[in-house]
Amino acid sequence: MLRGPDARLRLVTALLIAALLPVLGQLLRLQVLDRDQYRTEVEELVHRPYALPEPPKGIIMDRNGDLLIGNAPIYNVGAEINLITDTVTAAAVLAPLVGRSQETLLETMFLPEGVEGVQWRPLANGIGGEAAERLKALREEKWAWLTLQPTWKRFYPEGALAAHTLGWVNEDEQGYGVEALQQRFLRPKIAGDVGEVDAYSEPLASELAKGEIRAYPGTDLRLTIDRTIQAFVEGELDKGIAEFSAQGGTILVMNPRTGEIIASASRPTYEPDNFAGYAGVDDEIFLDPAVSVPYEPGSVFKVLTVAAALDSGKISPDWSYYDNGSVEYGGVVIRNSDRQAHGQQNLQGVLDSSLNVGVATFTTQFVGADVYYRYLREFGLGRRTGIDLANEAPGQVHLPTDFDWTDSFLAVNTFGQGVTVTPLQLLTAVSALANHGTMMTPYIVAERSYADGRVVVTEPRPYGYPISAHTADLVAEMMANTVDARVKNAQIPGYRIAGKSGTAQIPVPGGYDPVNVITSFVGFGPLPDPELLILVKLDRPQNDINLRWGTQTAAPIFQRVMARLFVLQGIPPSNMAASSQATTGP
Amino acid sequence: MSVTWHKNTHGVPRRKETLDRMTTRLFLVAVGLATLLIGAYLTLTASTVHISNGIWKLHNELAEIQRTNSALETEIARHSSIPVMQQRSEALRYEPATAVEFAFTGAP
Repeated sequence: MLRGPDARLRLVTALLIAALLPVLGQLLRLQVLDRDQYRTEVEELVHRPYALPEPPKGIIMDRNGDLLIGNAPIYNVGAEINLITDTVTAAAVLAPLVGRSQETLLETMFLPEGVEGVQWRPLANGIGGEAAERLKALREEKWAWLTLQPTWKRFYPEGALAAHTLGWVNEDEQGYGVEALQQRFLRPKIAGDVGEVDAYSEPLASELAKGEIRAYPGTDLRLTIDRTIQAFVEGELDKGIAEFSAQGGTILVMNPRTGEIIASASRPTYEPDNFAGYAGVDDEIFLDPAVSVPYEPGSVFKVLTVAAALDSGKISPDWSYYDNGSVEYGGVVIRNSDRQAHGQQNLQGVLDSSLNVGVATFTTQFVGADVYYRYLREFGLGRRTGIDLANEAPGQVHLPTDFDWTDSFLAVNTFGQGVTVTPLQLLTAVSALANHGTMMTPYIVAERSYADGRVVVTEPRPYGYPISAHTADLVAEMMANTVDARVKNAQIPGYRIAGKSGTAQIPVPGGYDPVNVITSFVGFGPLPDPELLILVKLDRPQNDINLRWGTQTAAPIFQRVMARLFVLQGIPPSNMAASSQATTGP
Repeated sequence: MSVTWHKNTHGVPRRKETLDRMTTRLFLVAVGLATLLIGAYLTLTASTVHISNGIWKLHNELAEIQRTNSALETEIARHSSIPVMQQRSEALRYEPATAVEFAFTGAP
């Protein structure tokens, strides 16, 4: 029996303290003893990665700003199937929108008995356009269980146009063309972190208050390619391939003053939008023949041999020799392609008649291996040009210091055998002749526009000075004389064109293919200050075997392309007075 | 000045306490200041959270606008692509030029 207020007060106090003890005990357990366990559980529950919606990759445009590769917004569609009330209706409505049958959709959306908690299932990937808009509306209006994760798909509005140049990348960012090599610029900066998120994986406001996160789209690229010219060149290449029943071909158009690649067309080609369809079946089709596939160039190479000989001073412009149809060097007998002897010939005659014996004679007797190969290296052969495209091949030039060198290389290399180049390398080397001795570095990305507003313009830069301006102009004049005198198929009324044809044998195991050839024509104009340099190459034309020459197959294509480009580029004739009635066109 | 007072609690006389008025005032001022500071901090935090939330929403809106913009961009590119333009021009009865004559004249 408690007596007095003091005792009652003590009792009440004791009871209150006793009631508080379990609370304190639980606090001690939660905050001290099991602290780590609960902390981990909470972190697993609310600490998750979150990110802003993925920004788009940089777009790729042609030199005039027309879109070549863009970004199409698409969605990956899913459903929280535990929240669906009428699965049959949902499947019926969704089936046409996600491109699946109602039956398979029902299977996907089926919720087994006894399964609890959030059950999310993917329904379809890559949904865009009208279907995506309908799905978004359905989600907003009635079906909150629909999930639409936004993402992007590369979009090629011109289809296969410039496919080799533009290229593609897979999810691992491996691929071809500009798209692959420039991926580090095109790639967007994705913004995200790990922190406290809500049920939709969106960051809690308190998390956001910790600091700013910001996503940036990729860098936009403007190329040197002109969409209209590219389409025209591809059309002419297709016509040429059909006309001469060739297996493939390449046309490259360059501004020799700057090194800009204005058009690069190759066949066979592919649809970059559907690259996965070719992968594993025909992987070689992805390689750009213009930069990745070296070949033996044949007689077009003679212009470089003549330029090297003249520039070295080993022979003079009035050098001449007696052509008896063959010359022996290093254990091989060199013959002219027509198997004829041409008698007394000068350098102009060597180019006009494309005499193998002539170039082999002056190179082996006067120039010598050391000087000749120094010039070939100066012309950039045997090394990559550094163009901003993926998978560039270096080609191959055998040097006297190589373990597999034989003396005969010096003789056969002079007319483009036993040496391999890519069309781009050859074009770059010839650009020295077209640009008064200066080779410009070929490039295809004209401008980069960064997300922060900076614009970086690619400045043309010299690649080398293999020969003097005097030698370059001299050889260009000789090439123009050759076109004027011998290559009617490459002439363009009113314009002075310099050029050289080539008909190259194709190496096969044990020698050269006796039937098939690669025909080509490289030319530039209008002289005296060329603005366009074009290489046309046809692989294995199957026309009349007697007409299977560069002058008969590649030269007419060159003529058509060059004539039209003069007009499209607004380049006036060499002699305005003489050409006021100039006509062009096929 | 200090005041000495005593009172009963539930009839139990409590010990005498001495309260310094100055101390009391200082204590109240400190409590007031702390309350103000805490209030200001809470207001600031709430405002930051609110603004951050707004920025997040704006980021999302920007992303959505970007997507709409890209969709329009690709649609325009699709309609103005060379194959489509060729089809349209052929539908309008234009024909590809087969023999073109260009006359160049010098500037006057």
